[in-house]
Amino acid sequence: MKTPLALAISAAAFAFSSAALAGDPQSGGTVNTIVQPEPPGLVLGMVQNAPTRTVAGNIYEGLLRYTTDLEPMPQLAKSWEVSDDGRTYTFHLREDVTWHDGEPFTADDVVFSADVFHRELNPSARAVLQHVENIEATDDYTVVFTLNKPFGPFLISFEAGTFTMVPEHLYAGTDFRNNEHNDHPIGTGPFKFANWERGTVIELVKNDDYYEDGLPYLDGVNWHIIPDGGSRAVAFENGTIDVLPSGTVENFDIPRLSAMDNVCMTEEGHEYFSPFAMLWMNNREGPTADKRFRQAVMYAMDREFAKDVLWNGLGNVPLSAFGSNARFQNDDLEPYDYNPDRARELLAEMDYDGEEITILPLPYGETWTRWAEAVQQNLREVGINVETQASDVGGWNQRLGDWDYDLAFTYLFQYGDPALGISRTYLSDNIAKGSPWNNVEGYENERVDELFNAAATAFPDEKREALYHEVQEILHEDVPVGWLMELGFPTLYRCNVQDLVTSGVGVNDGFKDAWLER
Amino acid sequence: MVYARLILMRLLKAVIVLLLIVIFNFFLIQMAPGDPAAILAGEAGAADQEFINQLRERFGLDQPMYVQLWRYVSGIVMLDFGYSYRLGVPVFDLIMDRLPATLLLTGTAFVLSLVLGIVAGSMAAARVKKPSGSLIMALALVFYATPLFWVALMSVLVFSVYLGWLPAYGLYTVGAGYTGFALVLDIAQHLILPATTLALFFMAIYTRMTRTSMLDAAQQDFVKTARAKGLKPSVIQRRHILRNALLPIITLAGLQAGQMVGGAILTETVFAWPGIGRLMFEALQQRDYNLLLGIFFFSAALVIVFNIFTDLVYRLADPRIKGAS
Amino acid sequence: MSFFARFAQNRGALIGLIILLLIIVMAILAPLLFPESPWRMVQRPFLPPLSQEGFLLGTDTMGRNVAAGLMHGAWVSLLIGLVSTSVALLIGVPLGAIAGYYGGLVDDFLMRFTEFFQTIPNFALAIVLVAIMQPSITSIVLAIALVSWPPVARLVRAEFMSLRHREYVEAARLVGQTNSTIILRQILPNTLSPIIVLASLMVATAILLESALSFLGLGDPNVMSWGYMIGAARTVIRQAWWLSFFPGVAILLTVLALNLVGEGLDDALNPKLSRER
Repeated sequence: MKTPLALAISAAAFAFSSAALAGDPQSGGTVNTIVQPEPPGLVLGMVQNAPTRTVAGNIYEGLLRYTTDLEPMPQLAKSWEVSDDGRTYTFHLREDVTWHDGEPFTADDVVFSADVFHRELNPSARAVLQHVENIEATDDYTVVFTLNKPFGPFLISFEAGTFTMVPEHLYAGTDFRNNEHNDHPIGTGPFKFANWERGTVIELVKNDDYYEDGLPYLDGVNWHIIPDGGSRAVAFENGTIDVLPSGTVENFDIPRLSAMDNVCMTEEGHEYFSPFAMLWMNNREGPTADKRFRQAVMYAMDREFAKDVLWNGLGNVPLSAFGSNARFQNDDLEPYDYNPDRARELLAEMDYDGEEITILPLPYGETWTRWAEAVQQNLREVGINVETQASDVGGWNQRLGDWDYDLAFTYLFQYGDPALGISRTYLSDNIAKGSPWNNVEGYENERVDELFNAAATAFPDEKREALYHEVQEILHEDVPVGWLMELGFPTLYRCNVQDLVTSGVGVNDGFKDAWLER
Repeated sequence: MVYARLILMRLLKAVIVLLLIVIFNFFLIQMAPGDPAAILAGEAGAADQEFINQLRERFGLDQPMYVQLWRYVSGIVMLDFGYSYRLGVPVFDLIMDRLPATLLLTGTAFVLSLVLGIVAGSMAAARVKKPSGSLIMALALVFYATPLFWVALMSVLVFSVYLGWLPAYGLYTVGAGYTGFALVLDIAQHLILPATTLALFFMAIYTRMTRTSMLDAAQQDFVKTARAKGLKPSVIQRRHILRNALLPIITLAGLQAGQMVGGAILTETVFAWPGIGRLMFEALQQRDYNLLLGIFFFSAALVIVFNIFTDLVYRLADPRIKGAS
Repeated sequence: MSFFARFAQNRGALIGLIILLLIIVMAILAPLLFPESPWRMVQRPFLPPLSQEGFLLGTDTMGRNVAAGLMHGAWVSLLIGLVSTSVALLIGVPLGAIAGYYGGLVDDFLMRFTEFFQTIPNFALAIVLVAIMQPSITSIVLAIALVSWPPVARLVRAEFMSLRHREYVEAARLVGQTNSTIILRQILPNTLSPIIVLASLMVATAILLESALSFLGLGDPNVMSWGYMIGAARTVIRQAWWLSFFPGVAILLTVLALNLVGEGLDDALNPKLSRER
């Protein structure tokens, strides 16, 4: 199992490095790829789910892009400055940008997008905007953001999917959700929306007036919609599909597909999201309310087995709440290695009486179902009486929103900074019924709240690091949730597709630079 | 004239049944756990309460249930099926987008299974005591007993993956830009696997039914008379026996139409066929109530149309049945 | 001729009965031969059949023993088939009996009700019911029963209509037997044979339905059923054909056997109607 895959990865890595040596980019050609599931809409900001981001990230743009190390790169903003007190951010915009309908892109669009559009519609942008006191266009191509306090992750929040620039001239003063342009999104990006045949394909075509010379190289990108995982794999195999973005085929297919001729694989391009799989544990009641029980669960799970068998050895088993792609990780913590005996000891210590608990799998495909089965079996083997609760997306949402569960699978994006992606899981003022994405486990710890809040607004980074290291020690001991894995989401593609992944969001904005070698 | 009144009566009855189905399904769906707004917000990955409230208000989910029902039913009467929560597109448009694919698939499978079933069944009836007749019946039984999705999976494996003869999924080759006859040919190629796998099961039913009812008919007096008159066995088989045996088969076929629409869900899932069966499954998972109700309405309507259609065929096949009897 | 002799005359039925008995034996022996849970991950994943001693049919995606799953699954499939058929009979028989016996408005109403259920595509209804109740053995059994009772009601109604004016029924009425006694004691026993034949076919259909639901991910996650095994193996069908092949064959054989037995029962119970085969 391991050997052929390791080979495949090194072959892919080799192909990737040799790609760098390949000739100059060539123009022309259309790439066929997959979006899964079919997105509910394509207007970023109005819709922020993963499939929308994947497609629309090539239509819309943000002020900045991010490297795979999450360093900011210029996009619509050609440069920026941060004041010494960390409260004022000034962005200088490119002056040669036009919307797909020909109108110029200006500072007014930025102010409208941030201050009006996202404040009204976009919860993830709202979380950042609460730190912003004032947004002002000082001239046509300069925008100044003034914060009420320094906010460490501010500069990492301008990615297209989170902070899309939308055209003021089409949206200002309208009912955003019923705007006629929602069916035909207008952005500034390298590709224009051409056609959406529901249930079949979304077609994007080259933006001939794109502001970066010579880009994009491709004539178009077709996003096919194929609901069955097996069919998607077949489509890639028989050559209909050139690129499989991460998560579009079942993990079990990856070793086979990546071993095919002329197929390359990269693990890069998901750093911005860095999906972190977790096991919610209900801290409020039942055996899971006992810290020792939660620790026992951590020791009982064979996470390396899950990584090797279910995730093809890709990804990373985390130490605690902070993943390896998150900043400020504390490496000194002792790992919760697979140790069924330790788990049994802890259970005996707390006098666990065999009370039945339930486990709720994530209804997002076969891998997750299998994972829940494996964890269930792991737990049973240390004597925990656990039954699986079947559910679909609706039921899963409902149960988590109502706190009606004992153990439940989920995964969350880390968004490059603890203040954006991690603290939300542990802050006590983030406890609210009705959402499966906040502090669902019901963990309350004043010291943790203090540390997280202080760290978010501390300046500069050295101060933040000390605070975050302390919070990780507390969380590591308390185990508010189970930390399963930082997921490795590989992208598979034909090797003649070059320069596909050039940023920390991968194909979400990758077709800008991509080209076909012929 | 008589036909016109008959159809009118049937249609009137159909409208009442459809209305009842709408109400029944409305309450059924209300019982499902999970709020569409929460699911949509959940999909967005970062849901705050404000966002969920915005969505609920937008979908009218903040209204009491009787208001929601009244709005929905009065909408339906005006043929307004509302908007899909998730896709923000009128339900009617979505269904009309997908309906042709389902009609093509189920229609083809229906005709295919009926024709092949009747042919195989009458062959088996004519070869009652011969091994070839038993072979046909054994095959029919095997098809009947095989899970539909399993046949679908295996046929993809054999015909698209190993042999590479037929496309494995979809309605047509996306990006090929075919038009006119080339497009028809392309769609036909894509249709072969899903239509055949869907048809096999029903074909097995019709084969068995045809054989039984032909053997029944062969015992009837008029057949004996025909034999006594010295007509050729093949003529008797076709003119006398088959004609009479057809009636119960057609009735059965009408009753099976609903099953076929249901079976299409599996076929459409495996073959990524963009029909309403697949749409229904997605709508259910997403709690996209308006869309789900719309699909139920249309699939029930489809079943009723199939029933009326077979009823008419029945009357054409048997001139003895007249009027509104 | 005795009942069994008539049954055994139909060679197919005999074969069916043997297969069915084998499957029942499998189900009974499962906990003895494989006392451990079929969910236990016992070996390397994706072991092909016959490649390792003790793993006749290989292992699945998680290293679980396929043979163990298949045997435990026999139990689940048969159970779901039998229970859901019984529930369907409990709904369909009384409705059909009442409609057929009383006729008139009652009949009209009950038959409209039945038709109504037949107008909703039954697999679609089953999916919705399971999704609403959330997948578990109980919800699956209920959903299958709720979509499969209408044919029972129709059959029983037809039988009752043809029997209700028979002499022995009229006689019972004359001696003052109550309607319920007449229905239960006089008519129902005479409709049993077609009901039994139909029931045997319904068990087969129920097994198919359960497998289809499981295939779509709507099975009970705590029991290893054949449909679950195929559904779980569907994504790996390319690299591990045996994972979906064996349970597929198991379903095929069971459903086949039940149908053959049904035909045999038909012959044995309705000797006048049985035809030369």
